[in-house]
Amino acid sequence: MNFDEIKKVIADAAREAGIEQYDVYYSTGSSTDVETLNDEISNFSSSVSGGLCFRCLVDGKMGLASTELITESEMRKIVAAAADNARATEKLAEGGFYHGGGTYGKKNAPEYKPLSAAELKKLALEIKDKIYAKGDTIAPGTQTGTSTGSSTVRIFNSFGVDLENTNGLSEAYAIPVVKIGDEAEHDWDVQEINDKFDMQKLVDTAYEKTASRIGAGYVTTGKYNIIINPETMRGLLSTFVSAFTGKSAQMGLSLLKGKEGEKIASDVVTITDDPMRPGVSIQATFDAEGVPTYKKNVIENGVLKTLLYNMDTAKKQGIESTGNASKGGYSGAVGTSPFAFCLEAGKYTEDELFALAGDGILITELNGMHAGANPTTGDFSLGSAGFLIENGIKTKAVKEFTVAGNFYTLLKSVVALSDKVDVGISGGATTFGSPYVFVGQMSIAGKQ
Amino acid sequence: MLEKRLLERILGIAISTGADFAEVYCEVTRNGGIHLINGEIDDISDNTVSGVGIRAFLGTRTVYASTSDTSEAGVVKCAVSVAEAMGDKSLPQNVVIREKIFPNIHPVSRVPFDADIKERTDIVHEACSAAREYDERIVQVIGGLSMVDHTIWVANTEGLYTSDRHLRSRIMVNAVASAGGENQSGHCSPGRGMGLEFLTLFPPKDVGREAARQAITNLTADYCPAGQMTVAIENGFGGVIFHEACGHSLEATSVAVGCSPMRGKPGQALATENVTAIDDGTIPGAWGSVNIDDEGHPTQRNVLIEHGVLKSYMIDRLGSRRMGMPVTGNSRRQSYRFEPTSRMTNTFIDNGPDKNEDIIASIEYGLYARSMGGGSVDPLTGSFNFAVDEGYIVRNGKICEPVRGASLIGTGSQILMDIDMVGQNLDTAQGMCGSSSGSVPTDVGQPLIRVSKITVGGR
Repeated sequence: MNFDEIKKVIADAAREAGIEQYDVYYSTGSSTDVETLNDEISNFSSSVSGGLCFRCLVDGKMGLASTELITESEMRKIVAAAADNARATEKLAEGGFYHGGGTYGKKNAPEYKPLSAAELKKLALEIKDKIYAKGDTIAPGTQTGTSTGSSTVRIFNSFGVDLENTNGLSEAYAIPVVKIGDEAEHDWDVQEINDKFDMQKLVDTAYEKTASRIGAGYVTTGKYNIIINPETMRGLLSTFVSAFTGKSAQMGLSLLKGKEGEKIASDVVTITDDPMRPGVSIQATFDAEGVPTYKKNVIENGVLKTLLYNMDTAKKQGIESTGNASKGGYSGAVGTSPFAFCLEAGKYTEDELFALAGDGILITELNGMHAGANPTTGDFSLGSAGFLIENGIKTKAVKEFTVAGNFYTLLKSVVALSDKVDVGISGGATTFGSPYVFVGQMSIAGKQ
Repeated sequence: MLEKRLLERILGIAISTGADFAEVYCEVTRNGGIHLINGEIDDISDNTVSGVGIRAFLGTRTVYASTSDTSEAGVVKCAVSVAEAMGDKSLPQNVVIREKIFPNIHPVSRVPFDADIKERTDIVHEACSAAREYDERIVQVIGGLSMVDHTIWVANTEGLYTSDRHLRSRIMVNAVASAGGENQSGHCSPGRGMGLEFLTLFPPKDVGREAARQAITNLTADYCPAGQMTVAIENGFGGVIFHEACGHSLEATSVAVGCSPMRGKPGQALATENVTAIDDGTIPGAWGSVNIDDEGHPTQRNVLIEHGVLKSYMIDRLGSRRMGMPVTGNSRRQSYRFEPTSRMTNTFIDNGPDKNEDIIASIEYGLYARSMGGGSVDPLTGSFNFAVDEGYIVRNGKICEPVRGASLIGTGSQILMDIDMVGQNLDTAQGMCGSSSGSVPTDVGQPLIRVSKITVGGR
């Protein structure tokens, strides 16, 4: 069935069921991946996917059902199932559906150009050759890979909203295993394949990150000046981003509840959400409910300016949606998330920031954030690795220590930021970005 | 789902350019969820996943393609893409498959989707009300019931054609306690590879009260001190320590490509004599059990470590080719979109020789981890970290005040040698394990164990 046929079947089924208000979220995608292991291509994979979610209002309540079986009988089945689910739901849907009429922005990401299977294989092998050119320390288990993929979201609703957005990107990665003596380590780097793709830099970064881990020492338990590198800070932002949603606040699961307009972070902290941030490949002019998206300051110079809302949570708050409705995939309820959530840059060069810290630890890895960090309380206690900072210079690698703190306290204790934001590659609905962050002192538990 | 004739045709296409083996995996899965927030059923989800994955091997080189388009044209196109990626030979193949039926050792008496929706929403209300009523400091309760009805078909060029239907159900309560501007949370989320009859094992009220008890305990707890300590880790989800620290390093995914510190060590003593560890996908109705794995092999009981000595790995078909060892019924995947690989099923440390009271009494100063959270591991180095969801200081052999915010870090090889006491109250708990083939249900488990020294993260 093509999309026009789907629309017609859904509209007919809804009308026959007496459903007046509804929307449809239809997502399709395709991807191709190549992977090398040791010195050969070990895996080639491709996928074609598609799924559809139908939501409707019945007795003032929202119901939904979704499927990957795109047939007329299945479309009729999910319309009936969604209506049944609405009747069994108890919460009144305050936000309803978007009536349209808003102005949509314009994307500025370069046009996605899919790579052929042959191009992906060639690039993956070239990366592999460059990794092995690093010498005899490259050990079994070394991997490289390339991928290309795109996805299209179509939304239409009973108020005439009819939208389409396609995003795509290609990327390359390298995961060298470096073995010296009995000690083996691995690390990785990834880059988008675009006009700025620098294969040698990808290989050099992955290798240097890995090699620098060999011979890592231990730290003693105590309090240290801490700098968090951009990659790790992006991970922390990702872990605690749910605290910035209206839904979490309304559910009492965020300590930011009722704090809009208040100082919640140090003066140097500004966090933005820009759905069309230049340089980010995955962009959206509308959210998962069809509402226009726009750039906003979430925290501005330490003051919480706004939380993020969809139609329902905004209505409950007595405001307009901030255009942050989201869905993890085609199925499931509409949630809330940012698009490009970035801690903005400060005024120091990296060298100046390290000099400011003097002696301490650079954190380059925090593990197990899904388990050791709690967005409700802000507490985290995480396994970590990094480097000593001695007299303002990054020196020896250190490992097997834990960092304990609280995210809300950390926001308040940020001392200074480096002058460049490093934006990651989108792994889902949200892209995160951060500079190097000097967060003052934190508790470290080491081996001694 | 696909006719036998079509399966034979697409297997033939998949090996027509030089592959020495091909496999088709078809799936129809219905996922249902009921979520309660603020005392109201907030949303009800109902999603059908349907698709086909086709894989071909040439030695240890693999090609995988998946599609949600299950029309004949859609799956033939998918098979052609596999063949084109594998090579450019033209070797027409006739494939014949024969149906093989494996016994169902996980019978279900109450299929969740057959129950009236009111009965299902009432279950969630009952659990959440019990949490609310536990203590007036419980300010928020989130509850849910999830149900999965998963049917797979596997066919391959060795002539296998089989199928399996697997159901699982889980109830979840997350309670938030608040006092003095501070929030703490507690959770309880038992599940089984069963229908709604699993609630006879886990009455909803008990689930709600347990989540609330943990939240209130943490509300009154101070931060855990940091440093190296002796730690007693309680049964059930305490088994995540073995799952993360050792289990992942025993999967062929890591071992076969040289990325495991356990590689090449069968027959060697890797743990103290007290430690016997098992992966068993055959336990009736267990969360991680299935009749057949996602390559069509029956699951089995694998003794991984026996009295400290490494006995076996968990091996899928590709791992078997790479390692020259037989498959162990451990090939798993989240859905047809993922290429399967070796994964754990129900993995646990077996009961040992020590009485539980002796374990606590032996600790002069340390941590009693009553409830563990999740964790992660680097399979190459064995470095792991775990969160402690509910912990207590132990002084002079007695469990004392609660502490919060603790984590445990170390390496798998070291902690196995530091498990110096193993108790006798083996129990399991449920988790969703994430790895390269997606998120799959796994049981973790152990009795109370003592680790002589480990780094505790705290403040």
